[in-house]
Amino acid sequence: MANYFNSLPLREQLAQLGKCEFMDPSEFSEGADYLKGKKLVIVGCGAQGLNQGLNLRDSGLDVSYTLRASAIAEKRQSWKNATDNGFTVGTYEELIPDADLVLNLTPDKQHTAVVGEIVPLMKKDSCLAYSHGFNIVEEGMQVREDITVIMVAPKCPGTEVREEYKRGFGVPTLIAVHEDNDPRGEGLALAKAYAAGTGGHKAGVLMSSFIAEVKSDLMGEQTILCGMLQTGSLLCFDKMVEKGVDAGYASRLVQYGWETVTEALKHGGVTNMLDRLSNPAKIRAFDHAEELKDIMRPLYQKHMDDIMSGHFSKTMMEDWANDDVNLLGWRKETGESAFETTAATEAEITDQEFFDHGILMVAMVKAGVELAYETMVSAGIKEESAYYESLHETPLIANTIARKKLFEMNNTISDTAEYGCYLYNHACLPLLGDFMKTIDTDVIGRGLGLNDFSVDNQRLIEVNESLRSHSVEQIGKVLRGYMGAMKKIV
Amino acid sequence: MRLLQFQQAEIRFSESFALKDLSVELTAGEHWVFLGANGSGKSAIVAALAGEGQLVAGSVTEQPTTELVSFEIQRQLIEAERDKDDSDITNEVFLGTPVRELLASGNQSITQQLVAEFSLEDKLDRGFRHLSTGETRKLLLIRAIAAEPQLLVLDEPFDGLDVASAAYLLVQLRKLSKTTTIIFALNRLDEIPDWVTQGGVMIEGRLAHQGKWEVEAAYIHQLLQLQRDDLEVPASEVADRVPVLAPGPLVTLHEGRIAYGDSVIFSKLDWQVDPGEHWQVVGPNGSGKTCLLNLITGDHPQCYVNDIQVVGYQRGQGESIWDIKQHIGYVSTALQWEYRVSISLLNVIVSGFYDSIGLYAKATDSQQRIARQWLQLLGLAKRANEPFNRCSYGDQRMLLIARAMVKHPQLLILDEPCQGLDEANRQLVLSLVALICASSETTVLYVNHHAEDRIKGIDRILNMADYN
Repeated sequence: MANYFNSLPLREQLAQLGKCEFMDPSEFSEGADYLKGKKLVIVGCGAQGLNQGLNLRDSGLDVSYTLRASAIAEKRQSWKNATDNGFTVGTYEELIPDADLVLNLTPDKQHTAVVGEIVPLMKKDSCLAYSHGFNIVEEGMQVREDITVIMVAPKCPGTEVREEYKRGFGVPTLIAVHEDNDPRGEGLALAKAYAAGTGGHKAGVLMSSFIAEVKSDLMGEQTILCGMLQTGSLLCFDKMVEKGVDAGYASRLVQYGWETVTEALKHGGVTNMLDRLSNPAKIRAFDHAEELKDIMRPLYQKHMDDIMSGHFSKTMMEDWANDDVNLLGWRKETGESAFETTAATEAEITDQEFFDHGILMVAMVKAGVELAYETMVSAGIKEESAYYESLHETPLIANTIARKKLFEMNNTISDTAEYGCYLYNHACLPLLGDFMKTIDTDVIGRGLGLNDFSVDNQRLIEVNESLRSHSVEQIGKVLRGYMGAMKKIV
Repeated sequence: MRLLQFQQAEIRFSESFALKDLSVELTAGEHWVFLGANGSGKSAIVAALAGEGQLVAGSVTEQPTTELVSFEIQRQLIEAERDKDDSDITNEVFLGTPVRELLASGNQSITQQLVAEFSLEDKLDRGFRHLSTGETRKLLLIRAIAAEPQLLVLDEPFDGLDVASAAYLLVQLRKLSKTTTIIFALNRLDEIPDWVTQGGVMIEGRLAHQGKWEVEAAYIHQLLQLQRDDLEVPASEVADRVPVLAPGPLVTLHEGRIAYGDSVIFSKLDWQVDPGEHWQVVGPNGSGKTCLLNLITGDHPQCYVNDIQVVGYQRGQGESIWDIKQHIGYVSTALQWEYRVSISLLNVIVSGFYDSIGLYAKATDSQQRIARQWLQLLGLAKRANEPFNRCSYGDQRMLLIARAMVKHPQLLILDEPCQGLDEANRQLVLSLVALICASSETTVLYVNHHAEDRIKGIDRILNMADYN
């Protein structure tokens, strides 16, 4: 199999990368009707698979689950999840041949094997749905030509997909049709009905392409989402300990700090995250973020270039073939870092203290989000895709670090994200060495400790203007607007 | 012996709510009951006596060992379980902490006895989230009693318990009262144990009155009596009505069954609900009352493996849950816990027209007008634009009841509607339901544990114990 993206002429590559538009709600007036009466079979019954299936069935669709024969015989958890919820469960051989739509909701890394097994069983003129395009775009999987291939990717975790549906709403969702596999021209109708069946049409659907999804997803996860937060965690923790901050406190500030500051990001973008700081702290965060952006820009560009050329996926797949030697070695190193092995203090840190004592963390998030976004946009990816793959998903990884720290965060994200995260981290740590020498505990660990909070008016106005006029803020405002009033969970 | 004393204390619970100027002294051997309207601060004062909240003025003596059972604690436990759910990260579906683990602390011989009396033995290995509302309440009670505290604080302990369990609890508490000081916050005057020694009345966040119960009881009763007349159910606009279905039964269930793995909740249940037939569903905690009602609303996933027809739809034939829900109004404790959105009181009621949690559509003028009439009826008109999540538990419950009734649904499902309501609100709800039963458009299904909450017009009984 060969890299699909690289097989396309440049004009086609650019056209596919630049595909991402917000669909008008009127395009969903038929709801899930196009799939009514058809048989939907889901492969995989984890959190994403189960919750999507529950929604699709509640929308009036015929849903069942197929699992490996061993999972059924041993009544594994995936079997229990499906049967306790009243779904029919069967082996590939039993269910796939009758399916009109097969939803592949297994992890990326299993795709080649799973798709290889199920496609020969699929009936003529049926449809295969992905929630990620890596297998098609980077691995170059070629699916039988009578089969329609689509992608429907809810941009939130599985439990949220379900919870929002039950409320009568949904989560923003990305859809795409693989143009090489749309023999009857019904790919879009299928993808729209699938998205509507999960409730996604109520929160907004983006029409994209397999290529734009893969390239932007890879870029986001390895730079700002996982990479920046990992590098930032290690640097901030070590700096605090070096300067005599209690290690337990430093561990807590870092572990839970990302989650708290990015919660502000989720609700009101980079602007709101910086607005949570005092005026003098905001200006410090802004200035450090500018410095960080200048230092790290070449690194973000290198990641984007390697993703575009296929170099990244090629080297990673070589490691897959080599029993994950690099990946597992790097994972082990992560588990041994000082941050990882120092338990967080039990003492509470208040919401505001995370901001006041974590000015550098705020600066790192701002720099990472903006760089990832700018680099993607300059590579031909649309603003909407770039927003979702940078700013929108950062709070999710931050939440994972709060629950599990770095080792487990890496263990549970996809292997693709994890591999890219380590590459980023190895390059970024030395890159920020000189910068970190200039840093003290006023911006990480202890706060500015000022008696006088006065600032220069002109400077503050400049900073506020600059924050608010960034393109990621403009598109973010529009996209968050579609989500309706942001619902505060109490 | 003095157990606890508050002097001119101000206890802050949130940015917007504090108990002010609180002076009260508890002596070992006393047993207190605190009463008051919904939103008056009953739950707050007993929580303060249990050491919750933040002292911002005045003084408090050292806290004796204390256990608190309340809806807030129950909510926190549910929230903690939600936090433990890593399924989005691990992609493995979370089943919840086993009940056994949640009961591991405390005096185990007391725990065992209570588990047996509360019929929870076969639930010990189940995940917490699979317990019914009444069962989670029992779990909290067992944990609190088995901890053998000096001070036991019980905020509505009988709410959600079936009749037998409530009676058993009362007997246990009487025994316990010989050695432990017990504090109650209660809505229902008929639940006040006769061995209570002191009483207090809360009015708008202040302890307005306190004293010996035998002296004060009559006065306190009087203080709590509220008169209400000219009761009328606000109309629903013709334009907002869902088209009435063809005549026929509203629910037909054939050999109904719910099971998790090998554990069967109920089975072989045949049931038909015809228009105008109002039913009361009874049965002990865990007998599947809520499960049954959720089969009807479509909220229980096993509705797809049952032979069930709801408002004319045979389930699992291509209809969506929204097709079903548009004909149903629904209130339950679980709904209240799921209604975790910060929207205005007015919009909570409007959301009943859309069957949504939160509001995702633009309300029409007539919908807003009707919602305002309901707020007027509930005495909440002045607070129309306040956020729902800052309301007291009882006010939230009243709003959700109005939400269920606002569209005059063909089927109104009330799963313990009076839970958490004060005397006046309870009377209001019972009267409203009676009026709705008397009208011809709505059929009512009703679950409750209190014999005295019988509603005129609801004369058919389904006893779940026959199917366990």
